Amino acid sequence: MLVAWRYRKRENSFIQWFDPRAWIIFYLCFLVSTLAFWDVRFLLPFFAISLFVVFTSGVKWHEMRRAFLFIIGFVFFFAILTFLTGRGGTELYKAEHLIRQFKAPFAIFGWTPTLDITVERAFFAVSQFVRVFSIATMTILIPYSLNPALYGITFKGLGLPDNIAYAMDLTMRFIPTFGRDFQLTMDAQRARGYELEKISGGLIEQVRKLGPLMVPVTIHAIIGSEDIIDAMDLRAFGVGPRTWLDQLTYQTRDRVLIAGGVLILLASLGVGFFGFGNFWVPPALIKLFGG
Amino acid sequence: MTDSSLVVENLSFRYRDRPGAAIHDISFDANPGEILLIAGASGCGKTTLIRAINGLIPRSYKGEFSGRILVFGEETLKWKLSQISQKIGTVLQDPERQILGTKVLNEVAFGLENLGMSRDEIFQRVDEALAHLKISDLRERETFLLSGGEKQKVALAGVLAMRPGILLLDEPLASLDPASAQETLDAVRRLADEGMTVLMVEHRVEDVLRIRPERVMFVSEGQVRYLGALDGLSKAANYREVKLPAEQIVERAKADAAPAEIKILPGAAASTSGPETLVRFEHVGFGYDVGADVLHNINLEIKRGDVIAVLGPNGAGKTTFVKHAIGLLKPKSGRVLVDGKDTREASVAQIAGMLGYVFQSPSHMLFAPTVHDELAFGPTNLKHPKDQIEQEVKEALKIVNLSEKEQDPPLALSFGQQKRVSIAAILAMRSRILVMDEPTAGQDYQNYMNFMDSILQMPAFEAILFITHDVDLAVIYANRVLMIADGRLVADGKPQDVLRDFDRLKACRLVPTSLLALNLKRLPQTGRFMRAETLAHI
Repeated sequence: MLVAWRYRKRENSFIQWFDPRAWIIFYLCFLVSTLAFWDVRFLLPFFAISLFVVFTSGVKWHEMRRAFLFIIGFVFFFAILTFLTGRGGTELYKAEHLIRQFKAPFAIFGWTPTLDITVERAFFAVSQFVRVFSIATMTILIPYSLNPALYGITFKGLGLPDNIAYAMDLTMRFIPTFGRDFQLTMDAQRARGYELEKISGGLIEQVRKLGPLMVPVTIHAIIGSEDIIDAMDLRAFGVGPRTWLDQLTYQTRDRVLIAGGVLILLASLGVGFFGFGNFWVPPALIKLFGG
Repeated sequence: MTDSSLVVENLSFRYRDRPGAAIHDISFDANPGEILLIAGASGCGKTTLIRAINGLIPRSYKGEFSGRILVFGEETLKWKLSQISQKIGTVLQDPERQILGTKVLNEVAFGLENLGMSRDEIFQRVDEALAHLKISDLRERETFLLSGGEKQKVALAGVLAMRPGILLLDEPLASLDPASAQETLDAVRRLADEGMTVLMVEHRVEDVLRIRPERVMFVSEGQVRYLGALDGLSKAANYREVKLPAEQIVERAKADAAPAEIKILPGAAASTSGPETLVRFEHVGFGYDVGADVLHNINLEIKRGDVIAVLGPNGAGKTTFVKHAIGLLKPKSGRVLVDGKDTREASVAQIAGMLGYVFQSPSHMLFAPTVHDELAFGPTNLKHPKDQIEQEVKEALKIVNLSEKEQDPPLALSFGQQKRVSIAAILAMRSRILVMDEPTAGQDYQNYMNFMDSILQMPAFEAILFITHDVDLAVIYANRVLMIADGRLVADGKPQDVLRDFDRLKACRLVPTSLLALNLKRLPQTGRFMRAETLAHI
């Protein structure tokens, strides 16, 4: 059976005040607009919007703590990784201005490991963090705030055909189901003395040792989807245009939200078209470090 | 022309990828207002027959099909599934696998939405179906949060809303506690009395007898062995193959030799060294979410020689309770000691050497290319020596009667066989305590009685604990019964003491069985509970 996300109706939730279709449109506009920028000054308004939406969402910290800590950890890890290696931002800046250099006191085959901390790398890490954090935050909130019973009609309302809309509905609900199955399999194998932490060996050997987890989870997903197809077939799914029991109607506020989203998107694309919003480092800092 | 709503003529089917016919030359008819019970061992072809009638065969499952199926006088082979589904409703074995909607309202409306009906008509039919099954109060609930019995009824309502003339039920009681099973059966009886034709596949024959099915069909190896009135079943079917009421088994078993006495846990009796207490729960409390406790202040000890049946309604916290014993869950308050060690300070792998845990669903653990490798996985993780592992694998396979499948891929076996592989995989680990979550679910009667007999006689175990909905399993095998309701331990004692309190059984959604009643009646004479075959010779 498909598991539901942790949705519930929340009092005074800003995000739940809107029609789900309007929110999805706004979210997509927000997503594309954020991706248009690397300049942290332009990214800050999006960061502010995402923080506003989180704090007005009505989702309690203990509900989303796990998801949030995971995302923050993930974003932080990659920001730090690009910062340390200097890779990832090189196509956005040409010159680098050194703040400090750390050199290892040894050499490996004539190569001395060196860590350059430059103004550009530091600012790239900050920009990357702000950018990805804003998007991730807005994404995390969706399963907590959109009623799963309305997924299908939401996608239908966004113009998708019946079959695709229902498939999207099932797919959205398949993700937490997959998570539950993974946990059950993990528990079952741990009860047989399997310890994920102790997996060692080369890459291929490590992948092979993940078999006890991956095989049952995959098989379960396949069997589960066959059951779903049978259950749908037995109740005449896909024979013609279907009625959607739930109905959604746009209110003025939804139109305002959609207009706002589209406006942000057009403005962002326009700003980008005229060459603004690219990676930016405060000139004062460059000057300070020898620019 | 005939009055029968369903006519099956010379029906045979062979799955494309399997040798041999799954069903062979089956013919029968069924009439409005009739409940036809279809009984037989697992793998006998019952599910194939259901799939052929509801049209999944040959539309979704391909193979060689011959014979005719007439529904209200018309042959269905050329019909689309959508046409068939308006005449024939199917409720699958596990409602979890059938329910698609997130809310009860959406779930029941699903088929009607697909037929493109007007919204008004859909609402009217949904409300009718819910009212009919007396579950109108569930209308706005989330399906995910329903109990097993409620899910089954919601699945049934979803089918009824399409107003079929024929209803197919494929082991509808398998995942239900006895009280929920009884409620579902009562609802089915009412539907038949109103004129519906009902075909019910079920091997819990005794339970179904309460609703007086008009006829019974006994299927074995894909063929009909008996079709007729209920009274004839006990003569046509072996009482070891189909679970009959205890009195009938006693009558039949009198003619046979007395069954061999089972030596329960010979290992526990032989071992005299070491402490007697194997597992200790001290004031254990647990909840998955803040403020919603699943377990409350559980205090108990599992001692050497215990064979414990854990009974209780769906969702009472039974699985959560046993997951604490192996350390998969750690208590929020109190502590659990396994072999004197706090489970908070030991890894699950360390505890697994002491306590083997068989999960409810085999598909969550089977992964290996052969049954042999599947069974060797646990002992290898526990670092048993190689030659010992070989012996452990062989012995475990023998107990679950799968020795000839050693080189087969476990994922290609039937569900019942997979379940037995999953039990063997834990048996091969030679843990001192065996814990099983619903070991008999999805198994046919003869198979589960056989492996329960074998497991209880294994010398390796010092204690066994199993979760079950089957009161008779507790009557036959347990020497101690725990009853859990709402996360609390409400009873703990000998089966003859705990199970005689029918009010408490009722409160825990259990229903007294004929075997329990017979045992209680004969208790002054026997002094303990026993199986019907043994009672026949006393």
